[in-house]
Amino acid sequence: MSFGRFVFTRSLQGLGVIWGVITVVFALRFVTPGDPINAVAPLDATQETRRAIAAELGLDQPLYIQYGQYLFDLMVGDMGFSYIRGQEVTGLVFARVPATVELAVTATIVAIALSIPLGVISATRRNEPVDYGATLFSLAGISTPNFWLGIMMILILAVEFGIFHTSGRGTDFGDVVISVVGPEPFISTLASWLKYITLPSIALGTYFMALITRLTRSGMLDELGKAYVTASRAKGIPETLVRYKHVLRNTLIPVITVLGLQLGTLIGGAVITEAVFSWPGLGTLVIQSINLRDWPVLQGSLIVIGTSFVLVNILVDTVYAYLDPQVVYD
Amino acid sequence: MAPNNTDAMNRRTLLTYAGSAAAAVTVAGCTGDGNGGNGNGGNGNGGNGNGGNGDDGNGNGDDGNGNGDDEPFEVGVTMGQMDSGLDPQDHAETNTEIIVGQVYEGLLDRDKVGGIIEGLATDWERGDGNSVVFTLRETNFHNGDPLTAEDVKFSIERIVFEDVSIASPQSNDLGSVEEVEAGDGEVTVTFSGFNPIAFQLFATNGEIMQQSWVEENSRDYINQNTNGTGPFQVTEYDSGNEVIYEPYSDYWDGEPEVDELTMTSSSESSTRVNRLLAEETDIVTNVPPNEVSRVEESDVATINSVPSARIIFLQMRYDVEPFSSQQFRQAMNYAVDVESIVENVLNGFGEITSQPTLPEHVGYNPDLDPYPYDPDEAERLVEESGHAGVEITLETPIGRYLRDVEIAQAAANQIDQLSNVSCELEQREFSSLVQDITTGDIEDKPHFNLLGWGNGEFDGSQTIVPLMTTGGALTILENEELDQLMTDAENATDSDERVEILQEANELAHELAPWVFLHQQFSVYGVSNEIEWEPRSDEFIDPDTATRQ
Repeated sequence: MSFGRFVFTRSLQGLGVIWGVITVVFALRFVTPGDPINAVAPLDATQETRRAIAAELGLDQPLYIQYGQYLFDLMVGDMGFSYIRGQEVTGLVFARVPATVELAVTATIVAIALSIPLGVISATRRNEPVDYGATLFSLAGISTPNFWLGIMMILILAVEFGIFHTSGRGTDFGDVVISVVGPEPFISTLASWLKYITLPSIALGTYFMALITRLTRSGMLDELGKAYVTASRAKGIPETLVRYKHVLRNTLIPVITVLGLQLGTLIGGAVITEAVFSWPGLGTLVIQSINLRDWPVLQGSLIVIGTSFVLVNILVDTVYAYLDPQVVYD
Repeated sequence: MAPNNTDAMNRRTLLTYAGSAAAAVTVAGCTGDGNGGNGNGGNGNGGNGNGGNGDDGNGNGDDGNGNGDDEPFEVGVTMGQMDSGLDPQDHAETNTEIIVGQVYEGLLDRDKVGGIIEGLATDWERGDGNSVVFTLRETNFHNGDPLTAEDVKFSIERIVFEDVSIASPQSNDLGSVEEVEAGDGEVTVTFSGFNPIAFQLFATNGEIMQQSWVEENSRDYINQNTNGTGPFQVTEYDSGNEVIYEPYSDYWDGEPEVDELTMTSSSESSTRVNRLLAEETDIVTNVPPNEVSRVEESDVATINSVPSARIIFLQMRYDVEPFSSQQFRQAMNYAVDVESIVENVLNGFGEITSQPTLPEHVGYNPDLDPYPYDPDEAERLVEESGHAGVEITLETPIGRYLRDVEIAQAAANQIDQLSNVSCELEQREFSSLVQDITTGDIEDKPHFNLLGWGNGEFDGSQTIVPLMTTGGALTILENEELDQLMTDAENATDSDERVEILQEANELAHELAPWVFLHQQFSVYGVSNEIEWEPRSDEFIDPDTATRQ
């Protein structure tokens, strides 16, 4: 199979998965207990009022018509109308995407910046105190629930010492970029952004950081035992060059795969972190929509999360297939 | 086969481009939200003529309050949940009411303890027959247009009649309105019956919007922008995240002292408290009892609590065994140690109740004492009822009311301690439980469940009629004597006579014991030491009354 055909096939498969996501998300509404009308109507609303509200919510239509209409609307970029919020769903959902992407990307950068050097040091100084330290650190990182870590960091670093903000997203990365050319001073804008982003990024990225550290360490150890390393050393190539130019490069291929997959997970998995830090992203929107039983917004949010996960996966598969010709296309 | 050099070069180039593109996408993505958020606020306020304040969208978290008079007086409020849109007539939740209530006003209003005061009406009286007449205040909407009687007529009709604009979830809140007439500076509302609580209803409900503004704008726009007559006007609206207000300088009751008001939310109670302790906000709602000491022990904030208009109780369905027995229902009241629950589960933030009407509400009977905790008497009554050895299940919502699950656990445990009753607890998601509770048919309702009821009208009938009379939307009781008393109260034209009837109804409800009477819930706020603000008993937050400490 050619590379182009591989990409085409994977994209088609991705579309199938996205359709599946849409269908499951649509069906969830009908298997979940509780009627969305209960969130809108007061407790003592009469049955007539409830029926009128149901008609407004579009809940009086047959199921297949609701489903067909929903699919058609999605194809033209219309995620529907939230009668509970009285607003267009598409605008509501996409207004939250930048905050979630910002948090996921920052968490990933924090994780990579710390985990790869840690993994390399841990592998090259195997069974030394630094290796034990790194192993302990990654074990703690994998075992610590991120909401607990988040609350602890807020208590200590924000409430007690006042170094960071407890929650919210008062300054976004866009403000930092604009401050380079705009009237706002760059340094103070950057500092303000860091005060908001640092704690949620660490809380969200810790598990990922621990995972990549372990992956880098074991990958490095595998590679260091291979014949080409012995050959390189025999040829007199300096140890630093052997480790970083040859061994680390080969180790990074599986790391890239996990990185891509984890980025997708971070976009969808930030719900708890966003709740703890009141981060105004898709995760918070999901929780708000569940509380309000705002199904159109909940459906829209889940579809965007699911779709971004699928897209990231397709991208990673494609890049991976391109970078490593040993990957078989079929 | 190993890749050739050309391939390798291509891959490196690709990786370089991919890295650059990722960075660019991130930057573009992050920039997009700020623009979008500002755009919403800018559009709305542009329409209202208030669009010049959009440059301050980044400072909400740092709203420390200046002590000097030269510094702007900024107040932040953090609640558990944000609004469900800014249309004041298209919602039924307290949080949305708090957010839109800064901008919109009704004809009448309430003071901090629930008394009726002027709103957009300066005078109100009973008219001919079943009508009431409101004399309107001369004031303007935030867009500069004057308030007219036609606007008031349109607003009431938009709430009450389904064929005017929307099917409002508030359609029952103003009583059975038949007709609204707009006169010269006054509005006459005619009901299908006498409606003795017309003014109570209008003091709690019925916010006024401008007819032309509503008709000219889409529903999407109305839910993201405002045009009211209240003390504040919205300068930035970030749906579900944050609302920023500025004071309305021409407000009829004087411009508020607050220079900027920020409403935000955090569903996590610990995060709300942390925000308060880190001095990032000034008022936080629903401080849970286990967090109270943390606030009290800090030197930046204090706890301020007030009895709310919400009563918490355990409902028992009169038509199923064993709850069909009045003795058994009374036994359940003797079996639950409410004093201990208030003390230990709620840390004292609750008041024991003896009847469906709260002390601050019209019709409260001061002669009734709560059922004492007396397990021996409870066991005796269970024996007498003939239901000894019965097994019952208490259903409770999860997280809907302050410590609801813990309260239900304690109550179920205390009932289970009786030698002749076994009680289990079933925790249910609120929306699922409420679906059963609000069903039109009593036979579909739970037999025994915990529920809370907010009575914003401050009138006993607004609890007893829907919850205890035949045909009430949530009733679990049918009793001819109580039905007759409530019908008499509905038709009573003399207010003293009506109060007596309601007090008699409360006494009967106490005897009939369709509920295990638990407690009056308290609203518990954390308030920064930088400001002076007293909470209200109706759960509304009024930062326009806040002053510098």
